[in-house]
Amino acid sequence: MKFKAILAASLILGAAAVDAFDLGGLVKAITKEPSVAPDSSSQQTKQPGLLGLLGGTPVEEEVAIGREIAGRLLGAAPLVDNQQLQHYINLVGGWVAKQSGRSDLIWHFGVIESDDINAFAAPGGYILVTKGLYKKLHNEAELAGVLAHEIGHIIKQHHLKILKQGQLIDMGGGILKSKVGGGDKGQAIGKMIGSGAEILARGLDKSAEYEADRIGVVLAARAGYDAYALPSVLQEIGHVSAGDSSVALLFKTHPHPEKRLVELGGAMDEYVEEFENGKIVADRFYRL
Amino acid sequence: MKLSEWLICMVLLAVVTPLYAEPGYIIRSSVLMDEPYRDATPLAELEEGASVEILKRKGGWLQIESEGKSGWVRMSKIRKGKAPTQAAAGSEAGGVLDLASGRAGTGNVVSATGVRGLDEEQLKEAKFDAGQVKKLESFTVSEKKAVHFAQAGKLAARELDFIPAAAE
Repeated sequence: MKFKAILAASLILGAAAVDAFDLGGLVKAITKEPSVAPDSSSQQTKQPGLLGLLGGTPVEEEVAIGREIAGRLLGAAPLVDNQQLQHYINLVGGWVAKQSGRSDLIWHFGVIESDDINAFAAPGGYILVTKGLYKKLHNEAELAGVLAHEIGHIIKQHHLKILKQGQLIDMGGGILKSKVGGGDKGQAIGKMIGSGAEILARGLDKSAEYEADRIGVVLAARAGYDAYALPSVLQEIGHVSAGDSSVALLFKTHPHPEKRLVELGGAMDEYVEEFENGKIVADRFYRL
Repeated sequence: MKLSEWLICMVLLAVVTPLYAEPGYIIRSSVLMDEPYRDATPLAELEEGASVEILKRKGGWLQIESEGKSGWVRMSKIRKGKAPTQAAAGSEAGGVLDLASGRAGTGNVVSATGVRGLDEEQLKEAKFDAGQVKKLESFTVSEKKAVHFAQAGKLAARELDFIPAAAE
């Protein structure tokens, strides 16, 4: 494979082009390379929103990328077939997301068919919680805390930053902003994300997780919920045996809940008064 | 069969009701207070590793019982589960070791039948499902509806700054 040589070249060129985030020149040099195999129907998507990506705003790009990732995750684990549940999680999530200051995004929340204990955020406002995690929750404040953590990832663009860094290295760069047809754009997103929804299995820097925890408790508190509900969920999850397969991916991609509790507890202890008087809201919690 | 149904209900109630009456232990020495407030009256010192019974939670405080005394301790000073053995002592390490041994997970293991996981391989192989994304997007609620929902739950928005990481 010429891959290594190109990689090296892209690293050198990439270093100069980091700020521009546009490797137009490099792309010209490498377009003779076969592109990654078209891996899903999404390449030919008929969504009008996606076609506006070329020359689109950063938010449109963000949403298009997140939509692709969310769609792939849903391909592996579909939505739980329960309208009431899905409606409920969108009401809670919508209210919490309103506190995030990103009213430019349309927020989507869903519970997916998986007994794993996990939750996922994709750029642009797509958040999915597994049924396994949902079943561990006791009240609405805990759900709000979990969603708020994921909202934290999105408003801090944690995954997007990883994708952008990766793009400089794996040569997808520049295509998004170059004048190419709609199909190529779909490929560009595909290239950027990699295979399937593996980006969600890679995990973020642990400092990003701690940051999302701190944002999560604040967003939940801003929404009027008990800020300590998220730490409570972490305590509960930390209690699951590390050998249990339902937490394998979660524990691989996140610092151990015990570690997160130590970090979060330390940060919150300075603000006990600010975090007082939040609501649990147990009565209307939709139980599974 | 009525009687057996009643029995099941009773058993479920007994299990579910005392949500926080469970074992825990102190991970950092702390003070037992008579009320869940910073300026409440201190009752006793709790040493690292001490076993406690967690009764309930209020905000960032847990009501506990330890060696006949009862009171409130900061949530961040306590871990759920049985105290690690002396050999595994040492604040957080104890907790993690305890978890690694699988002991802390007892009673929390998900049933092995019908488990549908979501591992790395499945994520890598995942194919975009347009129908599912559309379905997901169809569930989105308007801001107005979210606000109504919050009001119905007596949730009031309040201002609060983001918090920095804890000092080392």
